[in-house]
Amino acid sequence: MAFSVQRIDTLQTVELAEGMEIHLRAAGPFLRLMAYLLDLLVEAAAITSIGFLINLVFPILGENVGNAFYLLSIFFIWWFYHVIFEISPWGATVGKRALGMRVVNEAGGGVTMGQSMIRNFIRGVEFMLPFLPLMAFFHPRFQRLGDLAAGTLVVYSRPRIDPVIAGPPPLAGIPVNMTLTREEEAAILSFRYRSGGWSEARQMELANHLSKITGEVGPKGVSRILGMAHWLEEQR
Amino acid sequence: MNRQEFESKNREEWKAFEEELEASEKGKESASDVGIPSKFRKICYDLSLAQYRMFGHQICDKLNGLAIRGYRAIHRKRGAFGEGAIRFALGTFPQAFRREWKLFLVVSMVFWGPFFAMWWSADREIEWVQALLGAEQMASIDGMYGKDADTVEHLRQEHGSNFMMFAFYINNNVGIDFRLFAGGIFFGIGTLFYLVMNGLFFGAVVGYVEYAGEPELLWRFVAGHSSFELLGMLVVGMAGLKMGFALLAPGQLSRGDALSKAGREGLPLLIGGSLMTVLAAVVEGFWSAQPIEANVKYTVGIAFWVLHLFYFTFVGRGHRGA
Repeated sequence: MAFSVQRIDTLQTVELAEGMEIHLRAAGPFLRLMAYLLDLLVEAAAITSIGFLINLVFPILGENVGNAFYLLSIFFIWWFYHVIFEISPWGATVGKRALGMRVVNEAGGGVTMGQSMIRNFIRGVEFMLPFLPLMAFFHPRFQRLGDLAAGTLVVYSRPRIDPVIAGPPPLAGIPVNMTLTREEEAAILSFRYRSGGWSEARQMELANHLSKITGEVGPKGVSRILGMAHWLEEQR
Repeated sequence: MNRQEFESKNREEWKAFEEELEASEKGKESASDVGIPSKFRKICYDLSLAQYRMFGHQICDKLNGLAIRGYRAIHRKRGAFGEGAIRFALGTFPQAFRREWKLFLVVSMVFWGPFFAMWWSADREIEWVQALLGAEQMASIDGMYGKDADTVEHLRQEHGSNFMMFAFYINNNVGIDFRLFAGGIFFGIGTLFYLVMNGLFFGAVVGYVEYAGEPELLWRFVAGHSSFELLGMLVVGMAGLKMGFALLAPGQLSRGDALSKAGREGLPLLIGGSLMTVLAAVVEGFWSAQPIEANVKYTVGIAFWVLHLFYFTFVGRGHRGA
């Protein structure tokens, strides 16, 4: 759950000035590499098509002018393609958007042009020693050096909503005649809404952890938990 | 209140907020943005409640997503670009330069040391210069500044060639600036390497032209843009070295935090220095090769150096708080 101290997920807790906590889901290096490769394709396509266009019109402009425009567009695409897209409302390059990611600052907001320049310029030299970007694997927020210098991270852009796979409806609610902690209550309720996706053996294995509360193990424990969940939600 | 009640009571409100966010994200209906802050506060409240009561990750994730989007919508920057640019040029940039004056001494020594060493060595023993430049470079220098060369002014008579060279300088020199900055991430070694190499190379060119060519041709060409180009490169180098020093000696901070701080503080130097290099490309492309008398060009060049001295020393003092 959101409050456990020892995390087993990649959620990043950020406290906002508004006084509440939000959770950012940091995107992993592998997916980001895929997005980068996609972006390389987009850049190559853009440069090729600009070159083609200039070839069409340069007889009018003259060879020097055509070459100049070509050089300038290579410069802008190479250095500013990522920057322009990351400061746009998308907050992501074409590749990142296609894979459902965006670049944010450490509070989850959009990045400034300066931040985007820092993180993208540094990537160029970071790739000269290919083990450096890989170090992002060891960072809790998957930040590479450019991200650290700019104070940015890459997150999944949409919340991931797990499907509800509720367990079988219980025959009757079972009153809980003891005080439950918030964690225990949450565990019982999420058992109900997720147990439909588990095998019976897995259901029993997990239900056995709650045997102190249910007083039963095995299949009986499972049905008691489902009954308790029913009571907690519908009949209390 | 249990989860179902909580959800059914607020569902409409959340939906309305989401619709408003969508409209705002698409850039439509900015007038209705007035509703977002108050609804955002309600979302924050609901999220805290849902988290505390552990209403399950379904609701928490949904509200969390809404809160992040609301935060983005509210804290979106819609600054006036012109005002920001003026404030940068008249305040932020020269102030950042003065704050890092020690770094300026370092990069200056790292650049000018190899420069003058190379120039001096050309006087005594030309082989060092020849080894560094190589046959191809020397031939091209002979072509531009040699005893019986076609002058640069002459070469640039062709239609569009000024613009062509401008584009070339942008691509080449500004690109070098960006690499110079990024090289600072290797504990500053990348930045130092580029600075030393540039110092050696420029020194070698000057030394070689003194040795084998017509120095006046060279000086006439470089006088105008030299201040923009060299100072721009050094200023960007300061930003790169700042990151390097932050990684080497982070002080009280962790290395990651120190790097982040150095990146943030060095940013005006990166942007300002690159803009100076862009200006250098403008001057180099459209002025330096104009067929104008040498003395005029020297005067303009010196005027630009004095202007830079004045700019970095005096501009932006006194309204630090602005």
